[in-house]
Amino acid sequence: MFKDLDPLLHSQLRLAVMSLLISVESAEFTFLRAKTNSTAGNLSVQLDKLAQAGYISIEKSFRGKRPLTTCKVKPAGIQAFEAYVSALKQYIDIPQNS
Amino acid sequence: MNAELPNLSARESLDIIAAMIREAKGNIQRNNFYFLFWGWLVVIANLGMYTLQRIGYEYFYAIWLITLPAWAFTLYKLRAQSRSNAARSHFDRITGTLWISFGVAIFSLVVFGRLINYQLNPVILIMSAIPTVVSGVILRFRPLVIGGVTCWITGMLCFLVDTQTQPLIGAVAIIIGFLIPGYMLRSHKT
Repeated sequence: MFKDLDPLLHSQLRLAVMSLLISVESAEFTFLRAKTNSTAGNLSVQLDKLAQAGYISIEKSFRGKRPLTTCKVKPAGIQAFEAYVSALKQYIDIPQNS
Repeated sequence: MNAELPNLSARESLDIIAAMIREAKGNIQRNNFYFLFWGWLVVIANLGMYTLQRIGYEYFYAIWLITLPAWAFTLYKLRAQSRSNAARSHFDRITGTLWISFGVAIFSLVVFGRLINYQLNPVILIMSAIPTVVSGVILRFRPLVIGGVTCWITGMLCFLVDTQTQPLIGAVAIIIGFLIPGYMLRSHKT
């Protein structure tokens, strides 16, 4: 029986954000928006969902007078990402033409 | 990019993960500026020291004072750069810490230079091999690794020659160790 894929990660934008954050120590909102090619509003909503699940931390500060949002992946997020990837492997292993 | 995409296949998921990891990987900073800036500075200081010694100027080592404003400028630039970085990779932190530790070690050596009979050129060259090789390995950039090994070999060579010739070897070491890889890094696109 296949493991269920984490619905929180099985979404294009949230998965992209998590993949980026897994690879870096921290990333600013503008970096995530540029790399995922998403809109600010949508990205903001998805980041909040990931933060609520405890997968990432969001730190809001200021650079000069401009607000600055910095995101980091949390241990729970790394664990969930690893579980998602290993669950994904089971789907990939299915022979394509059977 | 949409948040909810119905029927996201396993293959599509993997593609997203791979693409994003690739995007983040390209973000490793290639700080060729510091290799060029410090490379030229140390080459000029070494050649200047050699020349001043040859013409018999007593305080020939005073030429190294040009590194003081360079340190201030480097710290200023690093600070400005860390503010404008949209993402910080784990490798950036490792290389940054490595070079700062190297800078602190060099400073300590210069302060206590008299106690090691001013054998600074060989010691500093051998030490500079470490951050240079590690940076080369992290950036997967072989010329830097070769540069680091050159620093190590020329550092040992410096122990075998008189103190007057040491700056000349030091200049050659920095040209091969920092300047050539620095320029190659600048023209190298990933």
